[in-house]
Amino acid sequence: MIKNVFVILMVFTVLIGCVQKEILDDVNLESGSAYDYVDGKIKGTALVPIYLPNKEVQNKTFSASSNLSRDFLRDVQRQSSDPLVTGSLKVVLFGESLAKENGILDLIDSFQRDPSIGAGLYLATAKGEAKDILEGQYGKRGNAIYLSNLIRHNMKNKDIPKTNLHRFLFDFNQLGKTPYLPELRKISKDQIEISGISFFRYGHVVDTIPASKMFYFKLLVDKYSRGTLKVTHKKERAAIESIRSKYKMQLSTRKPFTVNVKLKVNAILNEYSGKRVTPKDIKEIEKILQKNIEKECTLLTNRFQKKNIDPVGYGHFVKSKTRKFNFEKWKTDYPHLKVNIKANVMITESGVIE
Amino acid sequence: MEQLVPEKAKISPFLVFFLVHTMQFGVGVLGYQRIIAMTAGYDAWISVLFAGLSIHIIVWMMYKILETTEGDIITAQSFVFGNKIGKLLSVPFVIYFLLIADTILRTYIEVIQVWMFQDMSTFWYSLAFCVLAIYIIFGGFRTVTGVAFFGVVLPAYLLFSFFFTIPYADIKNLQPIFDHSIKDLVMASYHMSLTYLGYEILLFFYPYIKDPQKSKKWAHLGVLFTTFLYTSLTLLTFAYFSEGQLQKSIWATLTMWKIVEMPFVERFEYIGIANWNIVILPNFCIALWCASRILKRVTKIKQKHGVILTSLIVLITINLFKSRVQINTLIDYTGKIAFYINYGYIPLLFFLVLIVKKVKKK
Repeated sequence: MIKNVFVILMVFTVLIGCVQKEILDDVNLESGSAYDYVDGKIKGTALVPIYLPNKEVQNKTFSASSNLSRDFLRDVQRQSSDPLVTGSLKVVLFGESLAKENGILDLIDSFQRDPSIGAGLYLATAKGEAKDILEGQYGKRGNAIYLSNLIRHNMKNKDIPKTNLHRFLFDFNQLGKTPYLPELRKISKDQIEISGISFFRYGHVVDTIPASKMFYFKLLVDKYSRGTLKVTHKKERAAIESIRSKYKMQLSTRKPFTVNVKLKVNAILNEYSGKRVTPKDIKEIEKILQKNIEKECTLLTNRFQKKNIDPVGYGHFVKSKTRKFNFEKWKTDYPHLKVNIKANVMITESGVIE
Repeated sequence: MEQLVPEKAKISPFLVFFLVHTMQFGVGVLGYQRIIAMTAGYDAWISVLFAGLSIHIIVWMMYKILETTEGDIITAQSFVFGNKIGKLLSVPFVIYFLLIADTILRTYIEVIQVWMFQDMSTFWYSLAFCVLAIYIIFGGFRTVTGVAFFGVVLPAYLLFSFFFTIPYADIKNLQPIFDHSIKDLVMASYHMSLTYLGYEILLFFYPYIKDPQKSKKWAHLGVLFTTFLYTSLTLLTFAYFSEGQLQKSIWATLTMWKIVEMPFVERFEYIGIANWNIVILPNFCIALWCASRILKRVTKIKQKHGVILTSLIVLITINLFKSRVQINTLIDYTGKIAFYINYGYIPLLFFLVLIVKKVKKK
């Protein structure tokens, strides 16, 4: 028995040195990357945080051009003192020209294939060049953390609909649904903002909505969404914050296809420029809000139908209600789909003052 | 009983639960979802449930066979076909269990090679694993059972990690229910056979159970628990992946772990895969134990020598499977053979035993 234990111990001692080790101090952790389309080639940029002794983080970027998406990493390795590993990639940006002309499908494939890349990775498109954004200097904890926190908190509490690598792939591979990503814009060297949402068809951006419409889009796609809105009521302005929202879809007729969408929004009044708000005012604000939501959401839906994209997933919804659903036929049906949006807004509180 | 197992080598009836469940729950879990969704789409969870419930009939038949002949499958075969042929018919089972051992170990090593260490050597890892398995089997069947117990209990916490996927679940994926024909559903159930295989070990360790009558309910509970886990995991997977996305994931279960985010661990798959070692260790041990046990019963080779012989065969044959395609072929064949044994041979043996019993009574 003791002999056996000895043998096992021996084998394991020998085996320990058998595989490639990756020690944290001896590798460069790629925490963000950007892709641009320059002169017919894909230019990749890898962002590596370098932790300085005084607790500051320096943002070091490596760039290389290549024809194959992830291939640029190999060229970048020649510039980096330590091996570059992808295990903690947090955010990936796609430049405007790349997303519009070349498409991002090849790149997405490599993210999916690489077992070391997490599914919670944030993807975003950039207005202008993506490399520019990575090369800024935001926050104290490094650009990648800054960018991923920026996207995360806006998805959780504000108007950006939830997306990440998994959701993107989910929508992309779902029949009757198309993916979308937030769009980032660099304002100055140390400032950045989320400027809108880009919509994809087969990996190409075909449409972008501005930040002012994001709230309405989020209502249509996220189960529970929060966000802020401004309304004008009798020359006064009010700021409304949505606490939670719910949507319910119903397929009312099949010939032609008609979908009823019921939106229920619970909100609070954050700000009011008038002297005081009476319950009557609140009722009126609710009415205005409902009208706004119904109008904007319908406009968005019509816009998607015109561009032949389906980020809300009406096709997927109709499929889930129809046996033996024919997607080929749906392609011609979709532009004629009728969507009735009905909003129900309830302002529950108006802050600590009346 | 022709070959009595000493009382002190026997196991308590409730441990049958762990033996049956752990043998069913192995490497198949890591990626069965894609295969069943290929034939029955997102209705395949019905097939999982159906295949799981059908096992109870087989388990019932196995108990009937074993009760009538009061021994293991070799006693039963000798009872039906006579001593010589009965023993001869047991030899294919040695190959069957070696195939299972190969499948388990090679699939697991492939997972490590794809997900963690590309350059890990198949041979050295198998050697270490075989030595460990031999050591456990040398401890006797009770030790194997102990490993089976811990192989279920210790990694059980991993089940909670799948809750991370719930916020991403889209129930609409599963609707409409029954969008596929019955034929598709049956085909998917057939494809589930690799994932569900393993309960047939009951035929081999039956003489080791202290109070066989009492073990019945535990065996059924073990199968039921497996069915429950598989069905819920299937539902979760289908809600989490869109259909096109699932078709691309070879190891859907592992891919689901990619979404797990915890402050202290960046990539949860690594923990999951490492833990899976404990899940497959009892499976491998039981397979080797069964193979060597049959050898002992048939040829009078000492079980200790049998274990070493069988693990040597595994060590040699495992190096033959090098690429994804070859491993896939191995898995396919193991699944097919398991299906024919469980749904073909066992019912056949069941009826033969009944007939022979009637004839002998007269």
